[in-house]
Amino acid sequence: MKLDLTKDFAEYAKDLNQASHDENIQKAMTRAVKSYRDTTAETMKRYPHTPDLALEVQGIKTKAIENNPDLLQQAMASVERNKGKAFYAKDAAEAVALAAQIIGKGKTVVKGKSMLGEEIHLREYLEEQGTEVWETDLGEFILQLKKERPMHILSPAIHVPREQVAEIFSKFFGKEVPPDIAAEVAQVREFMRDKYFTSDVGISGANVVAADTGAMVIIENEGNVRLSTGAPPVHIVMVGIEKIVPTFSDAMKVAEVTWRYAQYGIPGYVNIISGPSKTGDIEKVTTYGAHGPKEFYVIFVDNGRSLMARDERFSQALHCLRCGGCMYECPVFQVTAGHFGYTYLGGIGSIWTAFVSGGLEKAAPLLYTCLRCGRCVERCPMSINVPEMVGQLRKMIVNGEQIAQEDLTLAATVGNVSQALSS
Amino acid sequence: MAVETKLPPVLDIIRSNIVKYGNPLAMKGSEVASWAKGFNLPKRGDILFYTGGEYQLLPFIDSLVKTMTHIDQGSKGFSLMMGVRNVLDKAGFNAEKVYASVLAKDRDRYNRVCNKAAHILQRLGYDLCYPGDEELYSGALLYELGFWEDLKEYAQKVVDMIERTGAKTIVCLSPHAAEVLKLVYPQLVPGFSAEVKTFVEMVWEQRDKLPAIPTSKPVVIHDSCRLARELEIDEEIRDILQAVGVPIVEAFRNKKWTTCCGGPSKLLFPELSHTMGSRRVDELEETGAEIILTSCPYCLASLEGGQTKGDKTTVEDLIEFLYRGFAA
Ligand code: SF4
Repeated sequence: MKLDLTKDFAEYAKDLNQASHDENIQKAMTRAVKSYRDTTAETMKRYPHTPDLALEVQGIKTKAIENNPDLLQQAMASVERNKGKAFYAKDAAEAVALAAQIIGKGKTVVKGKSMLGEEIHLREYLEEQGTEVWETDLGEFILQLKKERPMHILSPAIHVPREQVAEIFSKFFGKEVPPDIAAEVAQVREFMRDKYFTSDVGISGANVVAADTGAMVIIENEGNVRLSTGAPPVHIVMVGIEKIVPTFSDAMKVAEVTWRYAQYGIPGYVNIISGPSKTGDIEKVTTYGAHGPKEFYVIFVDNGRSLMARDERFSQALHCLRCGGCMYECPVFQVTAGHFGYTYLGGIGSIWTAFVSGGLEKAAPLLYTCLRCGRCVERCPMSINVPEMVGQLRKMIVNGEQIAQEDLTLAATVGNVSQALSS
Repeated sequence: MAVETKLPPVLDIIRSNIVKYGNPLAMKGSEVASWAKGFNLPKRGDILFYTGGEYQLLPFIDSLVKTMTHIDQGSKGFSLMMGVRNVLDKAGFNAEKVYASVLAKDRDRYNRVCNKAAHILQRLGYDLCYPGDEELYSGALLYELGFWEDLKEYAQKVVDMIERTGAKTIVCLSPHAAEVLKLVYPQLVPGFSAEVKTFVEMVWEQRDKLPAIPTSKPVVIHDSCRLARELEIDEEIRDILQAVGVPIVEAFRNKKWTTCCGGPSKLLFPELSHTMGSRRVDELEETGAEIILTSCPYCLASLEGGQTKGDKTTVEDLIEFLYRGFAA
């Protein structure tokens, strides 16, 4: 097979150059980098145990990825025990189809921010199926209206200044929204409030999953996840299988390290959700759907992750907590934002692109953009050696090797707990 | 199924030049070694002075890049130009004809870096040997760009060259060469056991013998990524400067946290590379220092290229700076 990437490289180079001359991006990135560095330094001073905790979490993640098939089984069993329903989706197509089946026809969905959602093109798929989908994270909502992909994993609309937001909102809401951040936020709040309580389904991701208890930990600041996972009658969690750790207390450690390196002392909200809402207040009869959702579903998505897990050269990429720290320290990302990316961004994103979202072909330009300078490794709480993996993947490209696409043995091992919706 | 992927042609040009000519730009051995005229260094000895041809090729990289910046690599014009290179490949590299824009004074300057480095080491008491026009490039770019299979074969040639000198220690001027020889070669060439050191380490060991450099103006150090992170050499440079009595100011991002000069992306994304170089220069200039020192050929070129008109700073290699003490 022959693959000519010269055009892709040329177009991509143009895109990078354009981004590096885009004043909005430059302004936003300069602010973001400075604030990340300042806040993180301050937070680390206040919580000096963090680096040690990060080391401990490295150990937890390393083991967890090694034992991923077992943990997946445990986690699925826990979800079921908690009266939720657990599914395993081996790829993106299976994942979105499962979600669509659970949701049903002609429904409205409120959705929290999720990189996995981007990876499997969840919103686009559901919309094609006739589902009305609302991104509730402010940044994602802006991009939904702008029809663009996220430019940062934590601050997806990092590149859009308030003036542009005002323009977009004025057009969408059909009235003048001033370029004032508070007014913009208030406008979205008013609009979304109604959506939370009239939607049929809430969809969220999860930052960590505890296998022993089936607890889903979701970190957020806006409060949109609380509302979208609490108000609608159905909650679907869609989460990558790499997010599972053995115990609840492991999960708390992972969560703390995640938000600390995402520049928070403590985030506004940490949601821990493990099943449908229930009450036993009348005659001790357990009844589901008290105030929160009556139905609770978890779809564990593989989509290339177990391939990564089984290749010792790349399994460490699955330790990524998505704190975003590396991106602020990346000299390329600092000038191009998410243009250095394809769904997943930056150096670590190029590895993820190769395995789960686009393949080596889409990853190639990104892999050759990485400077292999190694500063991300210094920043990364998991000390993920991105330059090393970039080197390995470049070698594979040059040698014409492909990422093995054999049948997932993992899928077979978990087959006994994975269930089709009809069963 | 194997996939044959066509990447931007510049990658293969670099690759085949290294493999065929022992140098990323197919420079002739005599050109690479021209700095050594008058030194009369023996071909055999305990300490191999290893330039890898890297400082020597700097002015040519820039003009190659300049050409590429104006030509779309996917276009006909580019292949045309590369056609010219192919013809040239047969005859070897003729700098004067193809890169007429390369000024003699630039060539001279970078050649002199090797010259000065050898001079400094000799004055510090090291007996150096040098293979002259047989010197081969380390192959660091083969490693960098993914041509690991080629490197496996190529490394053997380099090791043969090293072994012919009988040297036990290799002094690398470029941290990229040091990295690949020290960390990658042992995995590729069984039994390769020469001690690999950087220029910085060799000087650091004898820093008490360095002549003082009279200046009251502070310098700022741009740590090279390879040196600071892979090779973990950063305090050594500070010690050296302290030994010669030069005050140092530190950049906000330094040592293990140093900012890349953008050099690695020069071949494929020259414009972006230039932007990153300029930004690093700005970071370094924030310290108020007027002299920026680095110890890597690519950092040197990238930071110089990143300077804008009106910049009051000068960028120097540590080698050039230390030589001031001897020249005084
Ligand atoms: S690679 Fe490391 S620093 Fe980057 S997002 Fe993942 S965990 Fe955070």
